[in-house]
Amino acid sequence: MIEGRPNNGWVIWFSLTVALLLSVAPMPGSAELGRPLWLGLVIAYWSLVLPHRGGLGAAFCFGLAQDVLAGTLFGQSGLPLILIAFLVLSLQQRLRMFPLWQQSMVLLVIFGLAQLVQLWLNTLTGNRPPTLLFLVPVPISALLWPWVFVALQWLRQRFAVH
Amino acid sequence: MLGVRLLVFVVLCVVLMGVDARFDALKTVRSQMGLVLTPFYWLADMPVRIWKGATEQIASSSSLMAENEKLKAEALLMQRRLQKLAMLTEQNVRLRELLNSSALVDDRVLVAELIGLDPNPFTHRILIDKGAKDGVFLGQPVLDASGLMGQVVEVLPYAARVLLLTDVTHSIPVQVNRNGLRAIAAGTGNPDYLELRHVAETADIKAGDLLISSGLGQRFPSGYPVAQVTEVVRGSGQPFAIVRAVPTAMLNRSRYLMLVFSDSRSPEERAAAAAEAQADADRQAAEQAGQASEPPAEDAAEQGEPPAVEAGVAQ
Repeated sequence: MIEGRPNNGWVIWFSLTVALLLSVAPMPGSAELGRPLWLGLVIAYWSLVLPHRGGLGAAFCFGLAQDVLAGTLFGQSGLPLILIAFLVLSLQQRLRMFPLWQQSMVLLVIFGLAQLVQLWLNTLTGNRPPTLLFLVPVPISALLWPWVFVALQWLRQRFAVH
Repeated sequence: MLGVRLLVFVVLCVVLMGVDARFDALKTVRSQMGLVLTPFYWLADMPVRIWKGATEQIASSSSLMAENEKLKAEALLMQRRLQKLAMLTEQNVRLRELLNSSALVDDRVLVAELIGLDPNPFTHRILIDKGAKDGVFLGQPVLDASGLMGQVVEVLPYAARVLLLTDVTHSIPVQVNRNGLRAIAAGTGNPDYLELRHVAETADIKAGDLLISSGLGQRFPSGYPVAQVTEVVRGSGQPFAIVRAVPTAMLNRSRYLMLVFSDSRSPEERAAAAAEAQADADRQAAEQAGQASEPPAEDAAEQGEPPAVEAGVAQ
């Protein structure tokens, strides 16, 4: 799987930066509730296809960046991202064999767990969401997975990232 | 191996959260990172800006002319209010001197523009384009054209985060404008209304009352309109009356906001300054009266408004 030296690492960072940008992009009114977990999706992709490039470190760094953007405590959005990266990395051998829709199903569970951790952390900081609406981004992100996968796959092959 | 790395990062995150929650050590790191990351908000907001700019560019001249007319009419009305306000201000200062109490006369304001909303839909926070470099400070009150919006909770070098009145974690001391009844207006997490806490069943408060900031919390200046009571439920089996009020500020529509710098001068200095300003205003009014032949037309709807709203808006 590892073919020579890692190259074109900037593509990974670029895609993560775009995901970060999307995670703060203004959205109309109640659509805000269903904002996909863009960073989670992109980190899941790179952890899945390039596990040797290490997903945890990137998850941690971009978690910190998101904390600054969202004004939450340092590490608060990093923890769910690290969880996503860890679960994908540990299931990676099996996940790669699955068709896209089956990957979506697994990611649905993983994103759900991540949102649950997010809920705990939010509650600890005194900002508990009043309803179960905080779970809305989970199915939306899972539905977006095939599209994100195809787009990033194209990007990866175009720039021969490995 | 993977488990060890996970453990390291999780511990790191937890430690960071603890340190960030309890100590100020990470504030500088945050503001440095904010310096780099603020353009993100600006970039994310770009499509909206471009769209606005484009629609303004291609707006037809007739609609522009109509808007111009409207703005001119509005300016005229404001001018008239302002003239009346100068007189009221001076009167207020004199009366307060008699009462030997300090008065809020004038505050300095700085106009800021909204550059981003908090990505978390369950918090009501916004990002504005003025920061520490413009003198913004923690806890600074923020207004829009029609009332109080909230306060600054985080200051970055070129941006600041504002907590809105309707956030669950926000409360503001208010006063009923009609009779001076004091209460605490707490955010509900719903952008449409605030709730008054611990209002007695028998309290004299009714739908339509204007709530103004009382200034008792030492955080917000007193006298700015905060909300209008829409609903009072009594005898519902609860220990206190349920009072709901709609914020007067357009919390989810205003794009331009004002940051208030409270006045640190003594009451005497303020009174002197107000008297001077009044003298100037008189002189100007006399000159204008000499030039203009006819007074601006009075609007019938204008006169029905309570004077405190005018004072609040014009301050």
